[in-house]
Amino acid sequence: MHQTVLTLAADPISQVVNQRWTSTADGWWLWSAHIGNLLIASVLTLMVLLYAAAKIKTGPESLGNDRFLTRSRGASLIEVIICYIRDEVLKPFLGKRTNAFMPFLLTIFFFILINNLLGMVPISKGLWLIFPEWKKEHILPVGMTATQNIYVTAGLAFIAFLAINLAGIRELGLGGYIKHLTADAPWFIWPIIVPIEIASTFIKPVALAIRLFANMTAGHILMVVLYSFAGAGIYMIGYKPGLEKGVGLLVTVGSTAIAFGIFFLELMVALIQAFVFTFLTTVFISQLEHHHEHGHDDAHGHGDDHGHGKGHEHAHA
Amino acid sequence: MKTLNAGLISIAASLMVAVPAWAGEAASGAAGATQDVIAAKKQGVFAGITAVVLFLVVFAILAAFAWPKIIKGLDDRENKIRSEIEAAEAARQQASMALEQYQKSLAEARAEAQKMIDAAKAQMNSQINEMKAKAEVDAANLKAKALADIEAAKKQALADIYSQSATLATTVAGKILKREVGSQDTQRFVDEALAGVR
Repeated sequence: MHQTVLTLAADPISQVVNQRWTSTADGWWLWSAHIGNLLIASVLTLMVLLYAAAKIKTGPESLGNDRFLTRSRGASLIEVIICYIRDEVLKPFLGKRTNAFMPFLLTIFFFILINNLLGMVPISKGLWLIFPEWKKEHILPVGMTATQNIYVTAGLAFIAFLAINLAGIRELGLGGYIKHLTADAPWFIWPIIVPIEIASTFIKPVALAIRLFANMTAGHILMVVLYSFAGAGIYMIGYKPGLEKGVGLLVTVGSTAIAFGIFFLELMVALIQAFVFTFLTTVFISQLEHHHEHGHDDAHGHGDDHGHGKGHEHAHA
Repeated sequence: MKTLNAGLISIAASLMVAVPAWAGEAASGAAGATQDVIAAKKQGVFAGITAVVLFLVVFAILAAFAWPKIIKGLDDRENKIRSEIEAAEAARQQASMALEQYQKSLAEARAEAQKMIDAAKAQMNSQINEMKAKAEVDAANLKAKALADIEAAKKQALADIYSQSATLATTVAGKILKREVGSQDTQRFVDEALAGVR
């Protein structure tokens, strides 16, 4: 019996990847679980932020000083996140441009965050329990983690790429943007610097895409592996004699406990990765502005040095 | 020892066998086609496009209806708090300035009052002294006048007494000379003379 099951080797990756729902005859997936998740996440993002906006906005004059209050726990939670990102990330890096970029950068943060968190909800397993025939056909209209799909993260990174470079052109002018590719280096270094700068323009969004994809994938695979250990332990309890039953119990309890801990780590990763994506996009936007202003503008925080260090290194290389 | 090792090996071996065995059973009936972590283009590209489109839709809606309100709300509150703090600061400064002014004017008023009191006191004292001196002078004058009056009255009285006694003596002497002086008569004359003096 073992010979036959061994041939169907365990594949934890198959437990976390996208699932098909409908596809064309030649294999294009028109609707997949990730698309369903993206749709739900979009609706949730809209609901959460429109609700928060209604609560955070300045109320009518008749409320007196209370019109400045946010009187809702949920909206306060969102407000804390918004204010943290605005004050700790956007303001130090973007200065006067903070309010102009807040909508884009915070929308991308909440969009990714809600997608990441939705990926923590075991929608797929639930649906497959309710509809065993879907499991049999391996189809799923909604579920899994959309930000675990490299195409999704690439799409988001593409938007970030457009935002970074369009903002740069708007700030520096087309001439200034092109001049920026020389990193203020002397002309004889241009043959080296310019290709590096052009490459870095494209490497930045690629790194964004891969970072989010890899982080969301790795943790989920780890959890699947741990649960498969638990499954193996249960298998041993059921089918093995004596001592091995005990080992099976130990493995089941141990790996379940660790997987439980990893779940919370994953929650943290979901937040951190949404933050990192937003943070790096902000940094990349801030890199494309007039360099000579940096040393003098006190409105920029300490983070500015970090954000622009790269540009200055180029200048002194 | 040997048996223990053998036991551990067999347990490890059965665990290694068990994982794929359970997983294999769990996955039995799967449609086959195993996927890579990085999906094939045909499997993923629509999800990617959906992500871009949905993000842009979400962004457009939020940029129109949510973010302006949130930014305005936060800015309004910030400005309100800042202006309130500034107003409070200004009020505090004003209050401390007013207090200083008040204390200064109070001290001035106090000094003024003291000066006035001192002046009044001095004036009073000088007036008292003046009045005292005047009173003393008056009293002395009065006394001197009284003494002079007394002296004058005394002199007048003495003068009167002298003239009267002279007249009396003359009269008495005349009467005495007109008659025989008896003892009873003498007594009677004396009485009459005295009655005449009175």
